[in-house]
Order: sequence, then structure tokens, then C-alpha cells
Amino acid sequence: MIDSLYLAWRYIVFNRIKTITLVMCISLVSFLPFALKMILKESENQLMSRAATTPLLVGAKGNSLDLVMNSLYFSKEKPDFISMKAIEKIIDSYLALPIPLYTRFYAREYPIVGTSLDYFEFRKHTIASGRAFAMLGECVIGADVAARLNLGVGDSILSSPENLFDLAGVYPLKMKVTGILNKTNSVDDKAVFVDLKTTWVIQGLGHGHQDVKTITESDAVLNRSEKLVTASAKIKQYTEINLDNLESFHFHGDPSIYPLTAIIAVPQDEKSATILRGRYLSEQKNQQIVRPKQVIEDLLGNIFQIKEFIDAVVLIVAMAMVLAIFLVFSLSFRLREKEISTILHLGCSRSTVIQLVLAEVLIIAMFSAVLCFSSLLVLQNFQGEIVHKLFIS
Amino acid sequence: MKRLNTYFVRPVLLLSGLLLAFNNVNAEEPTPLNIYTVNYPVKFFAESIAGNYAKVTLPMPTDIDPAFWSPKAEDIAAIQTADLVLLNGANYAKWLPKVSLSLFKLVNTSSEYRDSFISLEADVKHNHGVGGEHSHTGIAFTTWLDFSLAEKQAKAIFKVLSRKKPNLNAKFVQNFIPLQKALLDIDTELTQIGKELAGVPLVGSHPVYQYLKQRYQLNLKSVHWEPEETPTEEQWQGLKQILESHPSKWMLWEGKPADETVAKLEALGIKSIVFSPIANTPETGDFLSLMQENIAALKAISSVQ
Repeated sequence: MIDSLYLAWRYIVFNRIKTITLVMCISLVSFLPFALKMILKESENQLMSRAATTPLLVGAKGNSLDLVMNSLYFSKEKPDFISMKAIEKIIDSYLALPIPLYTRFYAREYPIVGTSLDYFEFRKHTIASGRAFAMLGECVIGADVAARLNLGVGDSILSSPENLFDLAGVYPLKMKVTGILNKTNSVDDKAVFVDLKTTWVIQGLGHGHQDVKTITESDAVLNRSEKLVTASAKIKQYTEINLDNLESFHFHGDPSIYPLTAIIAVPQDEKSATILRGRYLSEQKNQQIVRPKQVIEDLLGNIFQIKEFIDAVVLIVAMAMVLAIFLVFSLSFRLREKEISTILHLGCSRSTVIQLVLAEVLIIAMFSAVLCFSSLLVLQNFQGEIVHKLFIS
Repeated sequence: MKRLNTYFVRPVLLLSGLLLAFNNVNAEEPTPLNIYTVNYPVKFFAESIAGNYAKVTLPMPTDIDPAFWSPKAEDIAAIQTADLVLLNGANYAKWLPKVSLSLFKLVNTSSEYRDSFISLEADVKHNHGVGGEHSHTGIAFTTWLDFSLAEKQAKAIFKVLSRKKPNLNAKFVQNFIPLQKALLDIDTELTQIGKELAGVPLVGSHPVYQYLKQRYQLNLKSVHWEPEETPTEEQWQGLKQILESHPSKWMLWEGKPADETVAKLEALGIKSIVFSPIANTPETGDFLSLMQENIAALKAISSVQ
């Protein structure tokens, strides 16, 4: 057998182009169904793990998938906004505890998630270094954000402007990093967490500026009366919140109508969840309440339908490939008739010839298996990223 | 063997029994709730109702107005450890919008009577104490000076404590009933004083008596003075202007006023009395005993009238 393997090996090395082509074809056909299965399994894991642990989501009426994908995975599709009144409504119901989410802004490519401290407790996230945000303008960053931007506790990160061409827009806010989360293996690793009120400052609903009562520059004040001072755009607005200027920060308008993208509602029990859902179905015309698990199951159902189709295509391609390989080998043996005849004339039996053929097939199969397995290992390392790009971003 | 039994086995059994009993006592004793509040009245109500079943903390120093306190990050970190943070509501704690606290733990004790809040007109900024410059705009926040509202506030605290620790409900009821009675008694007493003082012009040294004025029908106008500061000439002129249409002979102070101010007021025919809102922890006495002192001061006016 060793001799047959040696002869087969020499033949394969001599015909390397043919061998490489065969190995590539077999590897690819074997790799595709496994890779597809792996990606779908990962997408199911990623999508379902967060969806299953998020009991209810409240958001503006509209596309429930956008609401779930934005709230759970911080996708770029933004649902319509709801107001803080929705939070009060849930608190007053005593049926669930609300966790607000406002995921509109970015710091570089990382989403800024405006929420409350309850989010960390709810997701069971712990802080690796530093502390949770305590004051306006502070942030806690995910492990990947810290690693990729080389940020540590005490460093700062700037919010990105929504529109580069909006010259009259709000200034970016320089946020102080007070804590870094332990690795969670979820999208939270790639997010910047701030208090909800900080996102309102980023939006411009709240701000801090020079004291208009003591300002001396004449062109910074448009009008001054006993009870009202109208400042011009020249007034210095603070782009960083620190202990020296914290007092000057204030919010304008009615905070109960300030925006949110969603609320995670954590019901007391199953009965409370049912009652709360019923209330939204009967009373709320502009808001919806969804079970993320159900929405993601629907999405996965669609994905698996596509998978079944792809499986069928792969099966046909594989059959065609097997036929092609069979053809390649039969043509190869026809071309090698003289070679086989010489082997027989040298005194080798027909079984030796069969052994030689089997050894060739075995070596090609082994190379294909190794290549397929290596490719799957590489894919395994990047499957999280691929799933995020394919199904979440 | 008998001696061994007497000297070793019996004490060991006795000790084991005692340890078991001690463990059982500890198992029944619930962990006290860690509660933070934003002012002294709320702290007093929570302490009165929860008794030993809660550790109630008012986190700011005693020499500042809790409404205008500026917490540091360490203070917030401490408050973040609380099981409950009891708020006064009516935009009382001005520091609240600038800090991050768990929504699960925040309890607005005045949410049930938010329709009774009194709106304020725009006001000029002023400065006193350690709290820094501030103004009294938006909503009047010394809600507890209307004792019918204070009773509702205490009831809200009772409800939240009962929800948090349902197994201690009976204890909380037992503690709440006397507090409720005391608050309603003060309300009745002040209503009576209000009737006796009907139409008598009064001046408040600081705009903190809005709920007292409204509930007990007091004829009261306020200036912006501080007990520890000598009023400026402009402030004296402001008072004189008020006195032209509102000839008051009494001024209500949040704290003991400076002797010089008292003398100057007396020269104008105005006597000073202290009616403290008791927003921060008092040096002596408690909320109810100090309110009785406030009532006694008001009674002094009605007796003179």
C-alpha cells in the first residue's frame, strides 16, 4: 500500500495543475454547505440570544424588525421616535420596569447608546475597569471600542456630527470615559454607553454656555431686559462637561416629550406582560409593543427558507461536480492507458492498479478535506463579524 | 463516661442549640433597605414608616439647601448603590437632571398629586449658602408645607415600601398610621390658624411658602432675602414697595435672621418669626417637633391679632 501511495503521490505531484483544480473543486463543494450551516447557526445564536433575553420592546408604530434590530443590535436603520411619556406610562402601570434606549448618534463608527444604568444590570454586564457613568457627559465603552481606539479610563471620545454639511448643527460632545465593560461577545462590545440625558445634550436639547447675565462682550447679547436676556450665536457653548461648567448645563422645553428610539420593558411576570401588551394593542395608536423573540423567529424563518433553496442549489452543483470528477478520472485513465499497460507488463496485478487509483483518490480527498477544514476554521474566527455585516448592520 | 457527658457533650449541645437559634433569628431578620432621599421631610417620612427596616440617608451636608446641592461623582456613586431613591418631585432636586441613576430605583413621591403643583413666574437669580447661585422658577417645590400633600407623600412612601417588602407590610402600616395622624392633625391646626389669620398681611423672607399660603389661605407676599445675609438697600426698597399695598407687620423667615435685620425691620414696625420649611436635617428635634414650633410662631401672630 505504501508503494501505491508513493507512486500515486509522485503522479499527483507531476500533474499538479490537474490535482490543484480537483482539490479546489472538491473543497469548495464540501465547504459551501458546512459554511452556510455555520453562518446560519451563528446568526441564529447571535440574533436569538439577545432577542430571547429581551422580554418586550416598546417603540413607535412601524416596521417591528427595524425596531428590534435597532434596539437589540444598534443597526443603522432608525425607527421613529417615541417620547419620555412612554416611560412614565410604563412606570405608572406597575406592570413592568422600563429601560430607555436612544441609539441615534455615533462616536466614529461606534453607536452611542443613551440609556439608564439599569441596562448593564439587565444585560448582566460588569465593568472591567473604572466605574459606571455618574454625571452628564460621562460614558462607559465596550471592550472592543477600548481595544480598537486604544482608550482607557480618563480618556475622552468625541460624538460624531450627524451631518457634516450642517454648519448650524450642534457641536460634537467630548465625553469622558469612566469605565470599560468586560467582554460580552455581543454588539455591546462595540458600543459607547451614556446616560440618556447625555444623548439629549448631543442632540442639542440640553446645553451649557457662558452665563448670559455676566457676559461682557456686547455682540454676544442681542437684547437684555430685567427678566430676559437674548444671546447671540457668539456666546461660548461648552463642548465638554466637567465639574467647572456642569452647573451651567440645562435642558430646554418639556422633558416629557424628549425623544427615545425604544424602551425595553421588563415585566414583573408573564401575566403583567400579557396585560401590558393588551393595553398597547387597545390604547396606543402611535406605539407598538413587540416580543423581540417572535420578530427574530420570523426573520430566521425567512432566512431558513432561503437556506433550503441554497442547499438545493448546492446539492445540484455537488452532483454536477461528482460527475465532472468522474469524467476527469475516466479521461485521465484513458490517457494513462499506456502507463497502466506498462505497469501490467512489469508484472503488477490488476489489484495493484486499482490500489494506485484508490491511493490517488485518497490523497486528493485528504487534501480537499484539509483545505475545507482549514477554510471552516478561518470562517469560524470571522463568523461573528460576517453575521453582523450580513444580518445586523 | 458520665462525667464526659456532663462536661463536654452537654455544653456542646447547648452551644449548638444557641448557634442554631441565633442563625434562625438572623434568617428571619430582613436586610435593611438602603434608601436615599433628596430632602429631610422625605427622609423623616421614610424613617418613620420603615423604622429599623431601612437605612435612610440624606446625602448632602446639613448646611445647604438640598434643592440646590451639587453632588460630586463620589456622592452619585454612593446613591447608585441604593435600593430606592425617594424624590420629592416638583422639580425639587435641581441636580437630578445632571446625574445618572437607575430608573428602577427612582420613586417620585409626589407623582399622584402633580396636578396640585404651583407654577412660578420667571424670577431673577440669587445666591446663598454653599449651593451657589440659583433662581426659583418653574414649579414651587416646598410641597410638604401643604400638610394634606405631605400626608399623600407619606402615603406614597408607605406604598412603595410595602411593594418593595410585602412581608413587612403589617409593620409599615403600624408605623404609618401615627405619622398620617400627626400630619393630618397639623393640617387641621394650620387650617384653623389660617382662618384666624384671614386677611392679615404677611411677608415671607424667601419664596418658599407658596403651598402654605395656598392651602391655609394666608395673605402672604414674598421677598428674596436670606436669614444670614444683610439685605441690600435695593432689597429694602423692594420691601417698602410691597408694604405700600400690603401693610404687613410680620415677616416669616426660613431660619433665624441676623440681629441687625431684625432691628431694622422692627423700626419699620415688622416683627420677625421663624417658620422653617425644615428642608435639611435639623441640629435638634425632628420634622414634627419643629413643625410644632413653626405652628406656635404662627399662633403668636393670631393671638396678637
